[in-house]
Amino acid sequence: MTTPAITPVFVRLKLSLLRNGLRQSGGRKAAYITSAVFALLFAALQLIGLIALRGHAHAESVVVLAVAVLGLGWAVMPLFFPSGDETLDPTRLVMLPLRPRPLVRALLTASLVGIGPLFTLCLLVGSVIAVARGGAAFAVGVLAVVLALLVCVALARAVAAANVRLLTSRKGRDLAVLSGLVIAIGAQVVNFGAQRLGASGLGELDPVAEVLRWVPPASAIWAVHAVSEGSYGLALAQLALTAGALVALLALWSRHLTRLMTSPDGSTLPSAESAARKRSSTGLGKLLPAGRTGTVMERSLRYVWRDPKTKAAWVTSLAIGLIVPVFNAWQGTGSVYFACFAAGMLGIQMYNQFGQDTSAFWMVAMTIASSRDAYVELRARAYALLLITLPYATLVTVVTTAMLGDWRRLPEALGLSFALLGAMLATGAWTSARFPYSIPQEGYKNVAPGQTGLAWISIFGGMMAAALLCAPVIALTIWLNVSADGDAWTWLLLPVGTAYGAALTAAGLKLAAPRTARRLPEILAAVSKG
Amino acid sequence: MGTSAVRVQGLWKRFGEQVAVAGVDLELPAGKFIGLVGPNGAGKTTTLSMVTGLLRPDHGTVEVVGHDVWRDPVEVKARIGVLPEGLRLFERLSGRELLAYTGRLRGLPGAEVDKRATQLLDVLDLAGAQHKLVVDYSTGMRKKIGLATALLHNPEVLFLDEPFEGVDPVSAQTIRGVLERYTASGATVVFSSHVMELVESLCDWVAVMAAGRIRATGTLAEVRGDAPSLQRAFLELVGAQSRDAGSDLDWLGGGSR
Repeated sequence: MTTPAITPVFVRLKLSLLRNGLRQSGGRKAAYITSAVFALLFAALQLIGLIALRGHAHAESVVVLAVAVLGLGWAVMPLFFPSGDETLDPTRLVMLPLRPRPLVRALLTASLVGIGPLFTLCLLVGSVIAVARGGAAFAVGVLAVVLALLVCVALARAVAAANVRLLTSRKGRDLAVLSGLVIAIGAQVVNFGAQRLGASGLGELDPVAEVLRWVPPASAIWAVHAVSEGSYGLALAQLALTAGALVALLALWSRHLTRLMTSPDGSTLPSAESAARKRSSTGLGKLLPAGRTGTVMERSLRYVWRDPKTKAAWVTSLAIGLIVPVFNAWQGTGSVYFACFAAGMLGIQMYNQFGQDTSAFWMVAMTIASSRDAYVELRARAYALLLITLPYATLVTVVTTAMLGDWRRLPEALGLSFALLGAMLATGAWTSARFPYSIPQEGYKNVAPGQTGLAWISIFGGMMAAALLCAPVIALTIWLNVSADGDAWTWLLLPVGTAYGAALTAAGLKLAAPRTARRLPEILAAVSKG
Repeated sequence: MGTSAVRVQGLWKRFGEQVAVAGVDLELPAGKFIGLVGPNGAGKTTTLSMVTGLLRPDHGTVEVVGHDVWRDPVEVKARIGVLPEGLRLFERLSGRELLAYTGRLRGLPGAEVDKRATQLLDVLDLAGAQHKLVVDYSTGMRKKIGLATALLHNPEVLFLDEPFEGVDPVSAQTIRGVLERYTASGATVVFSSHVMELVESLCDWVAVMAAGRIRATGTLAEVRGDAPSLQRAFLELVGAQSRDAGSDLDWLGGGSR
C-alpha cells in the first residue's frame, strides 16, 4: 500500500487559505486586497530599483544589506504575527498520522506559496541582476536565489516551531500587541539611516556589508558578486555556507517538529518554572508613601511595565517625545521649544486613566466611598506619572538645549514644559472622570467599537483645553522675549511655569474627584466594553 | 439576629427595550447562607450589581445592614465584600500582589494585610501560585483569588455572583469550606447560582428569581413546599413545562445508526 503524497495537499491548503482571505467581510477583504497590492507594487518597485543599481560602485553592499534585512524579517515575522500563516503552527496537525520527513518537505513547499515568498523572490532576483556580470555569475545566481529563498522560509519555520509554546501562550499574545511598536520604531531607524546615507553616500555601508556577507542568506548573494569578480573559491565557500545553514535549519526544524507532534500540548501542562519564581520585589514599594497613595502608585508603575497595552502607549510617548525635539535639533532645524513635546506626549498618559484599568475598575470603585477617596486615587496616579515624566521631560529639554547650544532659553523651555505637563494632568484627570472609554486588551485597537467619538472628545478636547490653559505662560514668554529688557527676566519663567503647572494639576484633581466619586457606576459601564 | 442584611424596595433596571429587573422587593435576613437562584437571564447579576453599588438602578432603594447604598456609600462599602461575574481583576499583578493592593486600598494596615493574605492563600490552596500573575491563573484559581480579595477586610455581608461557575470539584469544595466557616461566625453570604442541587445543599434561605422578578423567598423548606426537590419546585415556580420528548429525536440512541 502506498501512502499518497502529502505535498500537493499542503500546497492546496495554502492556496485555499490565500483564497479565503478574499471571502471575509467587506472591510477586512478591502484591507487584505490593499495590503497584497501594496506588497506586490513595492516588490516591483524594488526589483526596478535594484536593476537600476546595476553597475553602481557600492551595489553589492546595498544588496547584501537588503538581503540580510529580509532574512531578519523572516526570522521575526512568526514571533510578531503568529496568526499571519495558519500553517505555521504544526500542533494543528498533531492528530494526523504524519511522518516527519514528508511533513517537512510538504510544509516547506507550502511555505513557498504566498505573497511573502513572491516578494522575497522579486528582491532576490533583483539583487542577482544588480551584482551579476557574465554568464557564470548568472548561473550561480539561479542557485543563489533558490538557496536564499529556502533559507528564508526554513528560518521562519524553524523559529515558529521552536517558539510555538511561546506563541500560543499569553506571553506570545503580549508580544504581538507590542509588534506594531517595533515596526514603528524600526521605520524611524530606517528613515534616519536613509537620511544619513543620502547625505554621505553609499560607501558608509561597506563595513557593514563586510560582516553581513558571511551571514546566510546574504552570503548566497555575495557569492554571485564573487563569481563576477573571478574569486571562485570565495563564491564556493559562501554557497557552501548557505547550503550548510539550510541543512542545519531543516534539521533543527525537523527535530522541534517531531517533539511537538509527539509530546503533550504545552497549554495544559502547569508551567513549573514560572510558578516557582518569586517575583522580585524592586524595593520600590518601600520608597513610596504609605496608604492609598503609595499602593496606587505602585500598581500604576507595575502596569506600565507588565500590561502590554499600557507599555505600548508609554513606549510610544517616550519615543516620540524624544525623537521629535532631538532629531530636529540634530538636523539643525529645531528649537528649544520643541522639547515641550516630551511633556505633552507623556501628559497624554493621564487621559482615560480608568479605561486603562479595564473592567477591573470595579475593584477601585468598591473602595471609593467619598470625594476624598477619589481625590487620593487620582492624585496617586498623577504622582506615578510624574515620577517618570518629570525627570524625562527635564532630560529631553536639557539634551535638546545642549544640542542647540541655546542655554539662555533653558529656563523658559523648562517652565513651558512643566506648565504644559500640569495642564495635561489637570485635563487628563477631568476627562478620565467625564469621558472614560474602554481599551480592548487584544489586537491593535485602542478604543472599543462605538466609543471612538468619546475618545476623540477626551483626547483632542482635553489637549485643546490644555493648550488654552497654558496660554498665560505662553503669552508671558512671548512678551518677555519681545520687550526691550525682557531677556533679563526670562529665568522667571521656570518658577512661574512650574508653579502654574502645579496649581493647574491641583485644581484639575480637585474638580475631577467629586465627579469621579459621583459617576462610579457610569465609569465602570463605560470602561467594561473592551 | 432578626435584622435584615439587605433590604431592597421597588428595584427597576432597563437596558434599552429590555427590562432586566422589573420591580424587585426583597428582604434578606442577616447571618444566613442565602441563595439567589434563577435561570440564565433572570436578572440575578443585574440585581447583585445594583445591590453592591456597581450599577445605578432606574428606580428603587437598596439598604445594606441598615445603610442606603447610594446615599451612604462610606458605611456600606466598608461592610461588604463582592465577587462579581464577568468583570476582570487587576490581572497583571501576582495573586499576592493583588491581595496586598486590595487590602491597602481598603485602608487596612500593611502588616495586617500581609498576615491575612498569607492565611487566605494557604486556606484557598493558592500558596504555590502566589507569585504567578493572575492572568495566568485557571478559572478556579481566579474565583478563589477573587474570593480572597472579597474576604480580606472581613466584611459583614459577602455578595458572590456565580462563585462556582466553571470551578473544578476540588476548588469548589475549598470555597465551600471557607464560606461555611464564615457564615458560622454570624456573617451573611448572598450568592447567585442556577445549579439547584448546589443551592439546596449549601443554603438555608433562598430567593427565586425569573424574568426580572422575585417568584418566591423564604427558608429552603418553605420554598420547596411539597415538591420532592428544589429543582422541581423551581421549575414549577418559573413555569417551565417539562416537554415530552417522545416523538422528537426518536432516532437518537440504540438501534440503527
